[in-house]
Amino acid sequence: MSIPFKLDIELHVNGIEYPVTIDAGRNLVSVIRTEIGLTGTKEGCDDCECGACMVLLDGQPVNSCSYLAAQAQGRTIVTIEGVMHGADLRPLQRNLLEAGGVQCGFCTPGMIISATALLARNPSPTDEEIRIGLSGNLCRCTGYVKIVEAVARTAAG
Amino acid sequence: MTVATPRRFVRADGPDKVTGSGRYTADLTFTGMLAAKFRYAEIAHGRITRLDTTAAQAISGVFAVITDADVPDVRFGPFVADRTLFARDVVRFEGEIVAAVAASTPEIAARAAAAIIVEYEPLPLVTDLEDALTAGASLVHEHWAVYGSADPVVRDRNDASFSSITTGDVDAGMAAADLVIESRFVADGCHAVPIEPRAVVAQWEGNKVTIWTSTQVPFDARAGVCETLEMPASRVRIIVPHLGGGFGGKCGFHYEAHVAALARVAKRPVRLVFSRREEFLAPDRRREGMVIDIRTGVRHDGTITARTGWMAMDNGAYTADAGFFPQLAAMHIAGPYKIPNVSVEAHLVYTNHQPSGSVRAPTAPQACWALESHTDEVAAAVGMDPVAFRKLNAVDTGDVGPSGQTYGEIGVQQCITEATRLVGYGETPLPHDEAIGVAIGWWPSFAVPSGAYIKLDGDGSGQIITGAQECGTGAVMTLRQLAADELGMNPEDFELVYQDTSVAPYDMGATGSQTLFNNGRAVVAAAGQIAEQLRNLAAEFFEASAADIVLADGGAYVAGSPVATVSIAELAGIAASGELLIGHGSGTPPATPQLVGSSCVGDLGMAAFVAPQFSCHAVRIRLDRDTGVVRVLEVAAAHDSGTIINELGALGQVEGGVMMGIGQALTEGTVYDDEGRQRNAGLLEYKLQTCADSPVIRTHFVQIVTPDAGPRGAKGLAEAPNVATAAAIANAIAKLVGTPVRRLPMTPERVWEALQS
Repeated sequence: MSIPFKLDIELHVNGIEYPVTIDAGRNLVSVIRTEIGLTGTKEGCDDCECGACMVLLDGQPVNSCSYLAAQAQGRTIVTIEGVMHGADLRPLQRNLLEAGGVQCGFCTPGMIISATALLARNPSPTDEEIRIGLSGNLCRCTGYVKIVEAVARTAAG
Repeated sequence: MTVATPRRFVRADGPDKVTGSGRYTADLTFTGMLAAKFRYAEIAHGRITRLDTTAAQAISGVFAVITDADVPDVRFGPFVADRTLFARDVVRFEGEIVAAVAASTPEIAARAAAAIIVEYEPLPLVTDLEDALTAGASLVHEHWAVYGSADPVVRDRNDASFSSITTGDVDAGMAAADLVIESRFVADGCHAVPIEPRAVVAQWEGNKVTIWTSTQVPFDARAGVCETLEMPASRVRIIVPHLGGGFGGKCGFHYEAHVAALARVAKRPVRLVFSRREEFLAPDRRREGMVIDIRTGVRHDGTITARTGWMAMDNGAYTADAGFFPQLAAMHIAGPYKIPNVSVEAHLVYTNHQPSGSVRAPTAPQACWALESHTDEVAAAVGMDPVAFRKLNAVDTGDVGPSGQTYGEIGVQQCITEATRLVGYGETPLPHDEAIGVAIGWWPSFAVPSGAYIKLDGDGSGQIITGAQECGTGAVMTLRQLAADELGMNPEDFELVYQDTSVAPYDMGATGSQTLFNNGRAVVAAAGQIAEQLRNLAAEFFEASAADIVLADGGAYVAGSPVATVSIAELAGIAASGELLIGHGSGTPPATPQLVGSSCVGDLGMAAFVAPQFSCHAVRIRLDRDTGVVRVLEVAAAHDSGTIINELGALGQVEGGVMMGIGQALTEGTVYDDEGRQRNAGLLEYKLQTCADSPVIRTHFVQIVTPDAGPRGAKGLAEAPNVATAAAIANAIAKLVGTPVRRLPMTPERVWEALQS
């Protein structure tokens, strides 16, 4: 059994610097949920398969279950809690509600992170591009139809 | 009676979910909280010869290690009391819990769980369903004759429960047939796979325990804790934070008592959070594997004269809620058809696999897949189009079904018409690698007691305090609409207070598609009491008769004088200084129909068809003949689930159910090794459908105000869309392959093998 060694790092999450002391092997999702106290990022598989733990790292969506917290030092992290515009929902969040793209809600934070990144790199995706863009996020409730519709509505403004 | 246009409204819990502010069980922390880990059997059948927790106890940071010796001597189970919280003497499946640990961190807890010493004497494996029923088979429960049970279960070999439906004279019916078609199908087990792995937190204060848990059935969870820890219901409080999906997998009583027992010994709050691997291996809710034989006698004109069916279903090591599933399975093999002579029997068989239980429409997708594949074979044998064959033989309004029930107004014929129209069945020639398959299905709406309170506070805002559990379907969200309509208010005027067994009255939970069907009735009754109070207050206000008061648009007025209104808020203010506005309701479930089937554990599975739902799915697929890969291009789903209250939520149920059905058809199946252990207990190996796989889904609701339905003619909807999809895909594949693929899931390998035969 390896003896864990501690690291003192700073993580930049949703515009705030958080100094944290962690075991070197800790993954980013557990540090965000436990040390930083933001539980909107979910953990569904610890296997990089479900996408529930997605966060934006310098604008790129990553599965934070399979990313070392130490590697995120010095980079900009955005979680679901950092997506809103002040007190207002983003159009994507509103469209997900109005289109019916939310049921149990457990995949929703990761889905929003994924779709936000998709729309940032491709503001006018086709339905096919949306389907492929969101294929790293598993949803068991909706059949994806209304999620795709919400992202398309958001792109159409 | 006319059907009102359904509304489309945004779910009340939506803002919590799109902002990340909604709390799920694993998000909760308490001061001094410890982490729980289980030690599992890891072998499928063995006698415990040594169990030593000394080394685990000695690890720094470990607060509690418990086994069977540390909890009351209770055997439990809803149909057969065959289970204990912790393994006692014998382990019967790989995910059986041998011991539990509470420690200061999950890492220390995992280390301590691994440090527990357990040794076994291997026992013979029981894994084959037909072998398990033979006279000389090893028994999974050697001494189950002494177990308790709710009903007079016949303790025969490994046959945990059986059901049969017999009507008419099958021998005469077969003799009257021009052709007799016989088919065999084998379905693998599969999983519910909610995206949220389950979690439980328990905290004691004095002799009372509060348990936050990701359950679909909080009252059932409470009953399980009370039974196994020998406590009265008044001292056990179950709270369910947001629930990240269930699909039946989170029905039943699971780990609430284990975590509560740990917390009591450790004298600290304790939290259990499952890994995805545990989510696959440990719960006693898995869709059962099946072996299915069906034989149908048919005349040249397409009339079915007789049917026999035999099925064995993999119960796994313990009988969870699957005890009554043979009835559901038998109903699905008999099917929604007019057949004068039927003899069907279904057996639930103990094995050394993970226990099976509720997964969205339990038994239906596999049984419907077999029956509807067989139905296409029968139609082909008499040279009939499979859709025309179904229209000829499917039950219709006024017909008598296999259980002897005479159906009121039902919409199965309209479902067939609409689904085939939506997909363009038979209209244009398809490319050589495409085909359309069609299947019909049915599903019950369980009629059971259910309760709710409503109160209007002094400012006129309301709270619906319900025992119903929301698992994502939106059924609880719909209750606001029902209350608002009764009181002439807006859904947004009501907050939903739910998921707390110490606050709300009983409800069966998010199971059996029953929430709207039963709790909807309770909410309407509760709102009706407040409506009466408001009418009396308004009558006094206007010096009019209460019978003339109309409640509408957030106010009350005297019929014929809508200009002079008093707001509900003002009336609520008056009430606040007198008789408070409090309503309660429990509705009255409809009477159950007369039945002809028989079962060793009552007749719930057949009686639940009192207000049956029907569906027809028509699916267009493309097959790559070189690889056996099937791509679903388009699904048309027509459903008779009665009237639709919230169209947005209803569409979401159908689309989600269809997508789950595609997974069950093509990729989702448990694979076992030679030792009875799951080989694909992870999302890398057990593949769900992704967004990139999703087809076009067109939905049509055949809205009929069904007799004996729930509020406003609504029936359940959450499970029905998961019934017919795999069957329709199978029939499309069979058209392209030339023969049915007789194993489920119909993986590329199996399709390719069928192509070679």
